[in-house]
Amino acid sequence: MSTQYGFSFSKDKCTQCFGCEVACKNWRDGELGVRWRRVYKIWAGRYPDVKLASASVSCMHCTDPVCVKACPVQAIQKREDGIVVGDSNKCIGCKACEKECPFGAPQFGATGKMQKCDMCMNEVDLAKESPPCVETCPTKALQLAKLETKEKQVIEREIQKLIDATLRTG
Amino acid sequence: MSSDKKEHQLVLNRRTFLKAAGLGIAGVAVGKFPFESFTLDEAMAAAAKAGETAIPTICAMCGPAANCGVYAFTKNGRFTKVAGMKESPVNAGGICPKGQAAPQWVYSPERLKYPLKRVGKKGEGKFQQITWNEAIAIIADTLKRQKEKYGPESLGMLSPARRTYSEYLNRFLIAHGSPNYGHSGICAMQLSFGFHYTVGDWPRAVDYANSDLVLIWGKQPIYSAPAQDGARAYINAKARGAKLIAIKPSMEPDVGLADLWVPIRPGTDAALALAMLHVVVNENLIDKPFVEQWCYGYDQLKEHVQKYPPAWAEKITGIPLNRIVEIARLFATTKRAGIDLGNGVEHVPSSNDAIRAVAILIAITGHLDRPGGNIFGAASKMPRPKSVNMQERYTQAWVDKLVFPEFPKAFQPFAEGTSSAYYGLFNSVLTEKPYPIRAIIAPGSQALVSNRGGKRVVEALKKLDFYVVADVARTADMPYADIVIPLATPYEIDHPFEVRGNWIMARNKVIEPLADYKSIFEFFCDLGVKMGYGADFWGGSMTASMNDQLKPLGMTIDELRKQPTGIKYEMIPKKYETYETVFNRKSPRISKAPFLPQGKVAIYNTSFKEAGYTPLPEWREPPESITGTPELTKKYPLILSDYHTSNVYTASWQRNVPYLREIEPYPALHIHPDTASERGIKNGDWIRVESPHGWMKVKAELYPGIRPDTVMMLHGWWQGCKELGFEDFPLLDGGANVNIMYSVDAQKAFDPVVTAMSSQTLVQVSKA
Repeated sequence: MSTQYGFSFSKDKCTQCFGCEVACKNWRDGELGVRWRRVYKIWAGRYPDVKLASASVSCMHCTDPVCVKACPVQAIQKREDGIVVGDSNKCIGCKACEKECPFGAPQFGATGKMQKCDMCMNEVDLAKESPPCVETCPTKALQLAKLETKEKQVIEREIQKLIDATLRTG
Repeated sequence: MSSDKKEHQLVLNRRTFLKAAGLGIAGVAVGKFPFESFTLDEAMAAAAKAGETAIPTICAMCGPAANCGVYAFTKNGRFTKVAGMKESPVNAGGICPKGQAAPQWVYSPERLKYPLKRVGKKGEGKFQQITWNEAIAIIADTLKRQKEKYGPESLGMLSPARRTYSEYLNRFLIAHGSPNYGHSGICAMQLSFGFHYTVGDWPRAVDYANSDLVLIWGKQPIYSAPAQDGARAYINAKARGAKLIAIKPSMEPDVGLADLWVPIRPGTDAALALAMLHVVVNENLIDKPFVEQWCYGYDQLKEHVQKYPPAWAEKITGIPLNRIVEIARLFATTKRAGIDLGNGVEHVPSSNDAIRAVAILIAITGHLDRPGGNIFGAASKMPRPKSVNMQERYTQAWVDKLVFPEFPKAFQPFAEGTSSAYYGLFNSVLTEKPYPIRAIIAPGSQALVSNRGGKRVVEALKKLDFYVVADVARTADMPYADIVIPLATPYEIDHPFEVRGNWIMARNKVIEPLADYKSIFEFFCDLGVKMGYGADFWGGSMTASMNDQLKPLGMTIDELRKQPTGIKYEMIPKKYETYETVFNRKSPRISKAPFLPQGKVAIYNTSFKEAGYTPLPEWREPPESITGTPELTKKYPLILSDYHTSNVYTASWQRNVPYLREIEPYPALHIHPDTASERGIKNGDWIRVESPHGWMKVKAELYPGIRPDTVMMLHGWWQGCKELGFEDFPLLDGGANVNIMYSVDAQKAFDPVVTAMSSQTLVQVSKA
């Protein structure tokens, strides 16, 4: 069965330290105001039976990426190893991908071209190394994995649920 | 049996709740990769691939102490990025956002590059650039003159959060002849004191690996060191199925991971602890053999706690009576249980009694130094490096000269040496009682924003004869400095070595200093030599200092440095129930009398009684509170308190680091959505927060996880961030400095024994 790269995340281990988010920026010389990876604070329930959880989210490199379909100039592609990549030479900055993506992955900085997590595929050898966001995680809540399509879809759905909960609670 | 049933209920409740909330997600971790973080070889390989250099060193972005091992990457002599060091037993390869953002801190436009001499009026901020040697000469001349005229005790030193250099501050004071190390009664030493004089040591470590129940009380086990062992122990205990109960006013991520949250009103921990004692004493849930053999004064306690029934505590703490009874029973009857007590209880005028009451609770229920309980620290086979402090020189006459003892003179010196209360130094400048402090050195400390009562601090700084600020970057107090000393960051120096637990490692220089400045260590060495204290300052050489300290380990700093990731010594297997040794430990007082006069847990504390303090823990209201000053609640209906540190900022620094500031851009008051909506306040609104002592203008963060009668915010806000276009906030009224909001009334705001400072008051909140 074919597998693809993906991030797995355990909210029971995340301490909401934001190490992954800053590692991402620092290792990729991230532009101010642009957040390839974000840590969400998620509330549920009402005082005193309130719950707080976390989610660390970047591009999910979806099994069936809506951004690829949304892009009018085919500037986004899903590779065979699962990584979803953008081509800034082709990108026209129309933000159609941003509108469709449920994870807030596509970001637009000073150039006006789409930019997002590329799993550091050119920086690290994914066959034996992990990207800095994963390396830095003190509790290993965030991991890189080779996943089967079904496993990956489960993660995508769960992360989406978490993000939706965040949006509901503001 | 009954306790098992109780525990079960808690878990069940949580599961049911999670299901209902639709948050029953389980992370799917599969296909774990072999390389999760950098070893030395991997760091070197990664650096080579990118045309960079990887230098093993120790992170410097939080405190107290600086202990995560890191690989710092440089390109063409520029510090570019950071990775966690797998070999370090402290962080095991992880690193937090503060550690990751270190390069931006080092290259901040806020860095101080040149020594400065004040030329304008105090507070005006007009300076003239001078050389390092000129600055040292001016300080030395002034201190010599003052020493001759007013005595050496006229010099005070502000303590930063505990750092490796803290001992150098003490060393300088001892060489000079002043006992006035100004320690802030907000962090660690108050806990250490209360525990030592009750159970003979500070069993700060909960045996998380073996515990079935941990009460996280007034503590944030994550924000202050998220990459360190404490956070991992917490997560692992949860994964193992241990019950975690969090007792604090608001819900932070650690509480989110706990099984039960007990929202307590800020500053009322002593009342809760006394009521829990009431429950365990009256229901006889004690470890009788332990109490009989190892405790002194249980009968007096039994009578004493009758004043503090749970119904009484409910009114004060805001915790329902049944919940107080439930957690008291659960703790007492769970065999492997511990209390992880944090700094929260050191920010209250009832600090010493809260700590003592918790220590007694741990002891009489049989949780002291037992598996899963509060244990006395494990030791390693590492010989202890020689102390930089020179405590052997203390005498009674020395102690008697303290200007405002942090702990009563009868209990001085304590663990870190003799000390005066941090705010006491400023107080003496204003009152001139018993004598005025004439010079203050502030190394890595900014009294205006990190000390209560900023308004009083400003008055004192205006009056103070001589103020020296030594820091890596601009500080809030700098406009009042007579001399400003720019300091190298720890990434620009090759000293000192750092020790944590069983691990010792040499610090390596990552980059050359960005300007002609030196380290804080070299500052004190240079000043020491200039003052004529060269013999006590290794002739001004840090290499000689480190070699001297390393003698017990039988190595030199050069030899230690040859081990790029340091040396890990074997741990001595932990022995439990070490009462015989610990309960007879001598105190560091001049008399060296033991901490526990009876060789038993001091429930009834004869040492305190002899010194004129209460022998049993009592309740003391904060200066302003709902139950203590109900007449104020009409005008000021909400309780205000503050957080000491956050996930992205360490205390009052790092607001100038853009990657961190982006995550937490504004000073935000956590306010319950209902409390906010009653006032027409929406998320992100600018609001006015007013107490009887001052007012702030900050943003509202609607926060579902906070008591509706309480609002809280992070302390230490003042600094702007040039890269992101954020200006400084005003330091006093109308700014975001929470420390101006509290009472500094000497009779009400400070703990009478351990000088802890209150960080509770009452406020009104409205749209700005």
